[in-house]
Amino acid sequence: MEPILNIENVSKTYGSVPNQTKALNGITFQVMPGEFLGIIGSSGSGKSTLLNCIAAVMQPTGGSIVIEGKKLQSLKGKALAAYRGQTVGYLFQNFELLDNLTGEENILLPAFLHSMIEKEGHRRLNQLAEYLEITDVLDKFPAQMSGGQRQRVAAARAMILHPKLLLADEPTGALDSKNAKNLMKKLSGLNQDEQATILMVTHDSNAASFCKRILFIQDGVIFHEIRRGDESRQDFYQRILKVMAQLGGGSCHVL
Amino acid sequence: MFSNLILRNSSRSRKENGLFFSSLVISIVAFYIILSLSKQDVMVFLMKLESNAVNQLLMIIPVFYGITLGILFFLIYFACNYQLQRRRKEFAVYLMMGMSGRKLFAMLLAEDLLSSILALVIGLPIAVLLSELISLITAKLVGIGIIGHKFTFSLPAVGFTIAGFLVIKLTAFLVLSRKISRQEIGTLLFDSSGNKTKQKPAFVHGIWAALGIIMLAAAYAMAIEGSVWYEIATMFLTLFLGLLGTMFLFYGIWAVIALPIKAGKANQNLSVFTFRQIQENVIHQSLSMAVSSLLILAALCCFGVGIASANQQDKEHMLDYTFRDCSAENSKDFLTRLQAVLMENDLDSQFSQLSEMRIGHISTAENHRNEFQMDSVMESLSRLPPSEDRNILMNNLSYVDYPHLICLSDYNRLLKTAGKPALTLAANEAAVYQDSDFTNSSRTAMLNKILSGSPQAMIGKKPVYLTGECQSLDLVTDRSITLFFALILPDEQFLHDTKGHYDVYVNGIMSQETTKDCSLITAISDLNTRLDGMNLQDIGIEYESYLQTISRQLFYMVATSYITIYLAIIFLVVANTILGVQFLMNQQKTGRRYQTLVRLGAAYENLCDSARKQINWFIGLPVFVASVSSFFGVKALFQSFLSSQVQGTQEEMLLVSAAMIFVLCVVEYIYVTAIKGLSDRYLLTLMQPRREE
Repeated sequence: MEPILNIENVSKTYGSVPNQTKALNGITFQVMPGEFLGIIGSSGSGKSTLLNCIAAVMQPTGGSIVIEGKKLQSLKGKALAAYRGQTVGYLFQNFELLDNLTGEENILLPAFLHSMIEKEGHRRLNQLAEYLEITDVLDKFPAQMSGGQRQRVAAARAMILHPKLLLADEPTGALDSKNAKNLMKKLSGLNQDEQATILMVTHDSNAASFCKRILFIQDGVIFHEIRRGDESRQDFYQRILKVMAQLGGGSCHVL
Repeated sequence: MFSNLILRNSSRSRKENGLFFSSLVISIVAFYIILSLSKQDVMVFLMKLESNAVNQLLMIIPVFYGITLGILFFLIYFACNYQLQRRRKEFAVYLMMGMSGRKLFAMLLAEDLLSSILALVIGLPIAVLLSELISLITAKLVGIGIIGHKFTFSLPAVGFTIAGFLVIKLTAFLVLSRKISRQEIGTLLFDSSGNKTKQKPAFVHGIWAALGIIMLAAAYAMAIEGSVWYEIATMFLTLFLGLLGTMFLFYGIWAVIALPIKAGKANQNLSVFTFRQIQENVIHQSLSMAVSSLLILAALCCFGVGIASANQQDKEHMLDYTFRDCSAENSKDFLTRLQAVLMENDLDSQFSQLSEMRIGHISTAENHRNEFQMDSVMESLSRLPPSEDRNILMNNLSYVDYPHLICLSDYNRLLKTAGKPALTLAANEAAVYQDSDFTNSSRTAMLNKILSGSPQAMIGKKPVYLTGECQSLDLVTDRSITLFFALILPDEQFLHDTKGHYDVYVNGIMSQETTKDCSLITAISDLNTRLDGMNLQDIGIEYESYLQTISRQLFYMVATSYITIYLAIIFLVVANTILGVQFLMNQQKTGRRYQTLVRLGAAYENLCDSARKQINWFIGLPVFVASVSSFFGVKALFQSFLSSQVQGTQEEMLLVSAAMIFVLCVVEYIYVTAIKGLSDRYLLTLMQPRREE
């Protein structure tokens, strides 16, 4: 099976020579279709930079990002805009719903932007709204919704065009634990039922335990990788915690 | 380090708010130009002839200056408020780091002062050059010669411009910084100005809009009806209805425009987003849209009056001089006496024609009252359908019982000079004369219709038939005599009815050689100097020249067009700046939305397209409402406040409106292009992602 996303030796440096910060220092991994991959790391580890590079809002300094056989760096102008909306969907930490648009208008926005057939757009909208339990807030403005509802509306917006890859940047970051759990259930449901490929960046071990595979990132390099086999989510969570403990307090990493 | 910070902050403010800064520069230019009016060549020239009027004009200019300063104050207050609000967090950080409140205040003051000084440094030289240019162009246009032109620099104008500008700038700043300094650091740091949606259900907006439209319609109807302007109470009611109607209309206008916006290519690209953005702008900024619309309306009305008075048609010019006999001697030989005097002084070659104009009164009876009756004319008038013009004409004519008489051969000479066919009158016929200052086209038409039936009138006991069209050529050059109503009689009848008692005016036309090498104004001025040197008054001769007429017309023209165009420019600048700054500030406030759109795959062109559409609606709406209102506003102004000379015909009105709309289109085009350019540039900065924590 061909990987959807192939990241090869990607590096990213900020600033100029004397004060350079290496946010990514040669990262290599692949994402297979239907995978639910988590990238976990503490703040400043470079995970957001990585996601921004994949979402094409930032150019990596070196290495290559190949998505569906196309090199991301070669995309320009219209093709780039089309890539952002259609090939990848983006789920923000702060939802980033347009507060002067209703839920429905927010969700349909990418459909209009990329000229999806209206009928098809509405069919997809209803399907997603039902699954994400947001049918009763479709005609409300974001200010009238709860945080959990907002993030589920944002998820529907990210999924409306059947993106090849859903990028989620700390999707639970602004949610309380109950809403966070609910959202993660829905996301992993989408992954299982629709075979949606999801790449999620987080520092929340609980949220990460919903993933099938987890990459640990620190100081711009991938430091460890674990896979969830047949074990329960609880067990997987314990394993994550263990790695996290090593990451933060392992004897060889004491500063 | 502190001064560096000031320099950098100040230049950043100017960049972020370039539109506002350039409006300040334009205002400074306008201030100087109006304040330096007394140094303009035309005004210096008029000062010699109409010094009273010019002085009065110069006295009211500070009033206009004050009014415009007041309006500008609100613009500055509004724009600075926005700017300071945006920097709240920055101020909080300064304070957190231990900067004292006083130092923060000093820093902001210095920043503000720096921008103000820069605006003055850019604005004043432009103003001085522009005012020179205007001076030269107007001098050239009116033909007073530019050879004697000197470069002028009005120090008081510079002083007042600087003082006025700095005073309003500092006042606005003081008020605003007090507001900021009273807040706690906490409230500054955590921006409390969340987006509150004050949207009401559509029908509520609909009701307001309907109410606004009704009030506006009432105001329009009252405005063009005309009579409301004669009473203060009704005048205020009209203005009040208009003002309030406009505000209500804008408050509810969303209900009116929602459908057309939605209808246009819905569901494509960013149409939904654009629709919602326009909705938000229109609903949240309804008050500033209404105020801007009213300002544009005021500007249009001023432009209308300005263009109309600059374009004022003078009466046909034929006569250059009128000499009048004021000696006790018999005036019958006045012409020969005058010719002799002119010959003596070598001035006879200056005139190509000298002709008499004899004007007298009916003197056949002892009783001077009720000498003349024209009951049949009055009767015909009263049978006409009632109208304001008919009533005025009837009222005026009812006082005519002792009219002046004009000698036919003299009047025919005048007609010949004007290139018109001569009048022929039988012994029992008379033609009616009315000075054009006392009548208008519809009244003259009314009278002509009645005269076409040759109605009978009575001079003393003798019947006379009034025939031909009503005559209105100027009898003398300027104002030696103006007649509301007179009769033109055949020479014999004239001599008989006046019993030989009449005044003689001698009209002179300058020869072509005299006016060949220079403009008419210069030629007449030169001749006036020579005539004044002859002490004509000592020998009982008074004269008037066309120069008086020209200078009076010139004065009205220059004064009204200068002031109205000045006000119009200020109003337009302020209105457009309010709209532009409002839009751009809002765009920056909602910048995150655009960033989200970029992430969702909107291309730069799509964003620009959407923003351009928003700008079109946001600025187009107030301009459109103002244009509609201006149609009624200008009509009301023409009907009520302007003199009959300016009132003119329908075609002139159309021409004025066309010129006005053209000017408005040009100004709006410039502003909209500038705002779109700024918006595009801002959107481009959003395309580059910034690192956020």
